[in-house]
Amino acid sequence: MATADRSFLDPAVLSRLMALPLNARQAMLGNVSGHHRSPVRGSSLEFAQYRKYVPGDDTRRLDWRTWGRSDRFYIKEFEADTNLRLCLLIDTSGSMNFGPAGATRFDYARKLAGTLAYIAAQQGDAVGLHSLAEKPVEIPAKRGASHLGLVLDQMAAIQPVGDTTLLTALHDAAEKIRQRALVVIFSDLFVPPAELKSAIQHLRFRKHDVTVFHLLDQKELDFDFDRPARFIDMEGGEAVLADPSLIARNYREAVKQYMTEIDDLIRTTAIDYHRVKLHEKYDDVLVKFLLARIQKKGGR
Amino acid sequence: MTFLVPALLLALPLAALPVVIHLIHLYRRRQVKWAAMMFLRMAQRMNKGLSRLRQILILAFRVLAVAAILFVITRPMAGGLLGLTGGVPDTVIVLLDRSASMEQQNLATGTSKRAAGIAKLSQALRDTVGTRSKLVLIENAHLQPQLLEKPESLVDLPLTGPTDTTADIPALLQGALDYITTNQTGRTDVWVLSDLRQSDWDAASGRWQALRGAFTSLKGLRFHLLTYAQPVSQNLAVSVERTVRRETAGKAELLLDLRITRDAATATPTELPLRFVINDVSTTMKVEMKDSQLVLQGHAIPIDKTTKRGSGRVELPADASPSDNVFHFVFDEPAVLRSVILTDDETEAGPLQAALEAAADPTRKYAATVLPVSRAAEIAWDDTALIVWHAALPKADDLITQQLTNHLNSGRSILFLPTETPNNETFGGLHWGAWSGDSKPASVEWWRNDTGLLANTRSGTSLPVGELEVTRRCEILGEGTPLARLAENKPLLMRADIPGDGNAWFLGTLPGSGSSSLARDGVVMFAMLHRALNEGASTLGKAQQREAAATESLNEWKRVGETMLSSEQSLRAGVLTKDDKLIALNRLLREDRPETLGKTALAELFAGLDHHIIEDQVENETSLASEIWRTFLFLMALALLGEALLCMPPKREVRPSAV
Repeated sequence: MATADRSFLDPAVLSRLMALPLNARQAMLGNVSGHHRSPVRGSSLEFAQYRKYVPGDDTRRLDWRTWGRSDRFYIKEFEADTNLRLCLLIDTSGSMNFGPAGATRFDYARKLAGTLAYIAAQQGDAVGLHSLAEKPVEIPAKRGASHLGLVLDQMAAIQPVGDTTLLTALHDAAEKIRQRALVVIFSDLFVPPAELKSAIQHLRFRKHDVTVFHLLDQKELDFDFDRPARFIDMEGGEAVLADPSLIARNYREAVKQYMTEIDDLIRTTAIDYHRVKLHEKYDDVLVKFLLARIQKKGGR
Repeated sequence: MTFLVPALLLALPLAALPVVIHLIHLYRRRQVKWAAMMFLRMAQRMNKGLSRLRQILILAFRVLAVAAILFVITRPMAGGLLGLTGGVPDTVIVLLDRSASMEQQNLATGTSKRAAGIAKLSQALRDTVGTRSKLVLIENAHLQPQLLEKPESLVDLPLTGPTDTTADIPALLQGALDYITTNQTGRTDVWVLSDLRQSDWDAASGRWQALRGAFTSLKGLRFHLLTYAQPVSQNLAVSVERTVRRETAGKAELLLDLRITRDAATATPTELPLRFVINDVSTTMKVEMKDSQLVLQGHAIPIDKTTKRGSGRVELPADASPSDNVFHFVFDEPAVLRSVILTDDETEAGPLQAALEAAADPTRKYAATVLPVSRAAEIAWDDTALIVWHAALPKADDLITQQLTNHLNSGRSILFLPTETPNNETFGGLHWGAWSGDSKPASVEWWRNDTGLLANTRSGTSLPVGELEVTRRCEILGEGTPLARLAENKPLLMRADIPGDGNAWFLGTLPGSGSSSLARDGVVMFAMLHRALNEGASTLGKAQQREAAATESLNEWKRVGETMLSSEQSLRAGVLTKDDKLIALNRLLREDRPETLGKTALAELFAGLDHHIIEDQVENETSLASEIWRTFLFLMALALLGEALLCMPPKREVRPSAV
């Protein structure tokens, strides 16, 4: 099979980011040993807690020094380190095509997702891909270089088109990703915040560590047009005639209201939310994202 | 509203150009592929009502501006005063009041109300109607519809010239009604040009109700009332009530009874030069006017002893109303005031003859002849001013009936008295009914005291008509004008409504003591008979005073001094002569009354009819219809301004980023 165009992966960026680990904000349930905290106790070097001995416990784990001091049996438990499942959910609706050719929203999302996938794979984590579109692509999270290649190839092949199915796709992903995972969503989130909230909560209910990269163009926020124009919906083709001089104010009001609702959604669902404007350098965005996760891990 | 270049109205659909251009632009707008449609839709929903209204208003203003330009180039005509709207009618009827009062002038220009109104109306009709409508003129003097070729003719026609006549506006409207119903004129505009003198409009007349009813039933009829009701300030009017030549021992003089009136709020004493012209010899004297009226009784002007007959006039200084500044008179040896009493009843004849022979005016001679009914043919028709007809009414085809009619047509008078056995014949629309009587004498409950035989005296004192006792009354049947009524509206004295200058009255009782107290009390009978005699004597003698009116019989007379069309000379004040006869024509004195109809009263007269009133003034030089392209230009400017305001982009706000 010919290798797809992976130009969205920049070696310079990758080499710069390789020094930064991708950490989960919560314990992960992996199936192999890894760098991430597990909810079950294991045999790592990192002490977790003391617990009273109960019959049936492995006597090899008894802490004899504590017995010597207190004349009581305690079991010494250690953290278990496991691997991480990174599930990349990319919105592939028509609106992701917004922006100049070669620098569309989808291109931006692909760069972010590809780089993250690479980083995760390099640290031994499983990587999966879900495209949120009319014809969904579902690649379950697996480890291995060949799987990473599959994910990257698929990522390169996807073309954003059609109406958004973000909400349905999120609910589907919540159902299909069985084990705890770091779910990273790349989307413009042009859906009603109330409905989005329900989909995010679904993911959170399944104990996934949810991260959202909300990709927006500054033009979409400012609506800075000077002449009337025919605005064609990138998702459906429906045209709307509008005179910016008449509606710009209301447009901005609508954006503001939407952002307020999104902020509320972040507060109530405790997701890792990153509002990204397409003119920002994607490697800076990722650095910020990865660094924040290191700090969070250090603080536990 | 009409247009000087109506063909350009075909271009009016071009007014829709802005809409077409708007639609084209709608489909040629820049296309933007947009992702955040949810915000756009929300914004549009928030802005929908105002935005659409704004867009509609902008389009409306643009359409209005283009339409206004198109109207400008079609050169629309309408009147600021007028409101000539509704297109061109099939027929335009002009009802012209050219009575003496319409000659009131603008002193600066010398233009009369009549001339100003006609000029404006002519111009307005020329500009708005042109020759597309049938144009008909009916004026007050002849009351005959006259078809005009073009509106400009209104100015030149003798029929629209000045007169000293009086106007009967209800009769004018009746003329218009007759013309409309006879000719089925279709959509008709009726223009009434008048100065709204109450005496001309006769608003109390019952004819108005009938006219309103008749006009209401006609479709497509509009009235335009062009009125010139502004009063004259400080107007003076002169009239001569009596002219008598008196000759004494060594000299001759003319005795004139003069009356000068003025319309003034203040009664400041004023010295007036009064000019008398008698047989082309003029004298001027000064009189002091202290009140609103000055009466000179028996004012003597010496004349040559050999001057037995002649004519003259009294003149006041010129003012805004020239028609009442001059009064013409003629004089001659006074004719004998001759009357004939036709009766077989000597008892009744006695008091009548006594009253008619008694001299009411000591300078005149009176003669009353009693003739039996069988000798009616002996009546001297030419010399008799009054016939008291106490005989059965003649049959319609009798010779005597024709003679009586001729007598009336020549301006003489007849007083009909009932016989004991009245027949069923009719004269002048009236005939006798049955006699009735009561032991208790009836008295007159109402009589007309402003005009007619029972009018108040010159000093304003009323006649003792109420004191009359009527024991026997003969019923008067038919249509006439009641002058006195007994109880239960039973007419006692009626005037027959007959055309012409003469008068015929029906008295429903007899003067004798068996029927009434007329002879016993005497005063009422004397006044009544002498007034009837004087009415009939106005055309008696070789020198007569008459009122200007359309009279064909004067067409052959020659005017003293100026010349004019024979058909018009009976309408203008002046002196006419034929053979050895003289006639002085003057305005009707009721034309001197300044009272006019108010706007409300006028509106009431035309209530229920499509009419509009245009109050104009002689001084007003604004034409009734004019090109109004400036108005449309102004409209266009307003529309463009409105469009510009709506298209102005909103003030650019300094805004923080939405995120």
